[in-house]
Amino acid sequence: MRLKIIYIIFFFNLNLSIYSNEPSFESTIHKNLRCLVCQGQSIADSNSDFALTLKMVVKDLIEQGKTEDEIYNFLSDKYGDWILYKPKLNVENFLLWFLPYLILLIGGLIILYIIRKKGKKT
Amino acid sequence: MLSNTGNFLLIINIFLSSLIIFKSLNCLKINDNLIFKNIYQISLLQSTLVLICFFTLVAAFIVSDFSLITVYQNSHSLKPVFYKISGTWGNHEGSLLLWVIILTIFSFLFLIYNNNHPKNYRLYTLIIQNILILGFLIFIIFNSNPFSSISPLPKEGLGLNPILQDPALAIHPPLLYVGFVGSSIYFSAAIASMIANYSGKFFARSIKSWVLISWTFQTLGILVGSIWAYYELGWGGFWFWDPVENASLLPWFAMTALLHSLLVLEKRDTLYFWSIILCLLTFTLSVMGTFLVRSGILNSVHTFANDPSRGIYILIFLSLMIFASIYFLFTKYKPTNDLINSNSKETFILINNWFMMFYLVTVLLGTLYPIFTDAISNNKISVGPPFYNSVIIPVVIAFLFFMAIGPQTKWIKNKFLNFKSLIAILGGAITINLAIIHFFKSYSLISNLIIISSLFLISSSFFDILKKKKSSFPRIISHLSFGFLILFIGLNHNFSVEKDFNLKLGETKKIDDYEFALLDLKLNQETNYKAVVGELKVSNLATKEKRILNPEIRIYDNPQTLTYEASIQTNFFRDYYLTMSNIDRSEYYNIKFQQKPLMIWIWISVIFLSLGGFLSLFRNAKNN
Repeated sequence: MRLKIIYIIFFFNLNLSIYSNEPSFESTIHKNLRCLVCQGQSIADSNSDFALTLKMVVKDLIEQGKTEDEIYNFLSDKYGDWILYKPKLNVENFLLWFLPYLILLIGGLIILYIIRKKGKKT
Repeated sequence: MLSNTGNFLLIINIFLSSLIIFKSLNCLKINDNLIFKNIYQISLLQSTLVLICFFTLVAAFIVSDFSLITVYQNSHSLKPVFYKISGTWGNHEGSLLLWVIILTIFSFLFLIYNNNHPKNYRLYTLIIQNILILGFLIFIIFNSNPFSSISPLPKEGLGLNPILQDPALAIHPPLLYVGFVGSSIYFSAAIASMIANYSGKFFARSIKSWVLISWTFQTLGILVGSIWAYYELGWGGFWFWDPVENASLLPWFAMTALLHSLLVLEKRDTLYFWSIILCLLTFTLSVMGTFLVRSGILNSVHTFANDPSRGIYILIFLSLMIFASIYFLFTKYKPTNDLINSNSKETFILINNWFMMFYLVTVLLGTLYPIFTDAISNNKISVGPPFYNSVIIPVVIAFLFFMAIGPQTKWIKNKFLNFKSLIAILGGAITINLAIIHFFKSYSLISNLIIISSLFLISSSFFDILKKKKSSFPRIISHLSFGFLILFIGLNHNFSVEKDFNLKLGETKKIDDYEFALLDLKLNQETNYKAVVGELKVSNLATKEKRILNPEIRIYDNPQTLTYEASIQTNFFRDYYLTMSNIDRSEYYNIKFQQKPLMIWIWISVIFLSLGGFLSLFRNAKNN
């Protein structure tokens, strides 16, 4: 049981990296950029001048051969991290990304502990 | 006049709540198991007066009494009556009155429906619930009074925000409030249970129905909000991981965990303190959500017009609640022996709780983290859909597997039932998934796993319907529809088609398999807005399907606002979703077209999910 759980946790964490290649490259980027003049919209969902301009900028950057991360870095240098819907994985956001999994791990350990306690007594 | 009546009723209610607390304390001193008759009477009077107070406000909205600031700010005499009424709770002040109604009515109903439980426990619950009621009444009177008057009397109101003038949004708040304000009653009961030492399965039985009610309504409330966002915001999505949406989801996770842990508490008399923590957590998260939404601390699609002083009051209230919860937990905690066999039903219910806590922490963290980074390093970050999707979705897969396996176990015993059939079902699920890839197109590994795991849950639940006795029917319905929900979301996500282009009147454009033609533009004059209505023909060249869609650009008069109304054509297979917006200094219109498969089934799944809650509620009521 325990092995199974640990296996599952690891297995599904590894899959994280595979997730990103789903929709088209450009629209993935659009969905990750906040439209700064709107209320809680990504530029993919917005028709504001800002969103239209930014879509053009993104298109330009893709044509220049920039990678996804390079585009995000370029835009967050210019507009701040506020523009990215998926926060960067850095020291400041470390807890945001890892605390959920830590909780998952601790929760799993607690359940194992409860089950084992029983095992010893019977 | 209405202003005076309302204020008078509010003050009377403060008096009645205090009186109930006072009488209950007196009643506790007497050593028998009877509750004073007048406590029932005062509680009934209290509920009645709160309702009258609310209807006074409704009346003020109907007759457009602009001497009340709230009516002046949120209504308009030309608005349809239906929206005048729903405007009552479409604003901060009125919605707080709705809060108090639910607090009060739940308090009264809990009192009268639990007469087979000891007096101490019931009275303490009543006292704590009335402390909550008092807290909100005081908040209403001193900070957010819907009956405050304005002079000189304005001739006309400012009107209700047009995107709130909508049938779904009219019923969304009441549903949601029964859900998360309803959770107050088991917050009170949990504290009462610790004070009165009334624990274990009896406690579980006394609150089970209330948890089911709140869970069912919360589910429906979230659904209606989501449907509203789908057709009103015009982005084609139905869940944006927006802070306000998260605020309604957080208590839902806690309730769902509680719903399951109560089963263990009821059957096995273990997990008492854990269930208490969940009771306290649910209502605390509800109040916290309210704080986040009303204080304006978060940037969101749909925040209430906000005012920091409200935030401070709710924050103080929230801190007191958390402080009291922690105080009672620490003073009353006794270590218990929670003994559980590894392959028993208890283990799997714990696993449910484990995942719920993971979802809860993830969403809570995602919602609050930007506030912390802003406060600590002055760096504003956004946490949006890409974050939640990448953290949560992989874990959902494991969750669905456990959800399918769990019900195949027995209480106490360390044994799986039907192990071989489960393997067979898993094989079937993988085969169906391969068929989907083969006939449509391939998609990523994670999507495959989502589809497989949801199919696994669905088929094992079907298997249950065939095999099992009737008693687990509500559970099967809910688990089955949750499986379908994830399946449909997965398929919808993978097979959605989006097109974004510009078109002018009379023009026809062909993009991939689709042909779009803007046939006509009409100008319509409605009672409270003007609308430019487009007539667009969408032809799918592959399936020969043709549909006419009529997106609108609306110009509302009071207040002056421009909104884009999506045109949605629904059938059982797919939705066509189209919005049209004007482009400045150009005869072209920007068209966003989406084809969203199986959309309606997402809504239907959630309806069945909550139906499971209703069925369970009726069964529970019949058994007691």
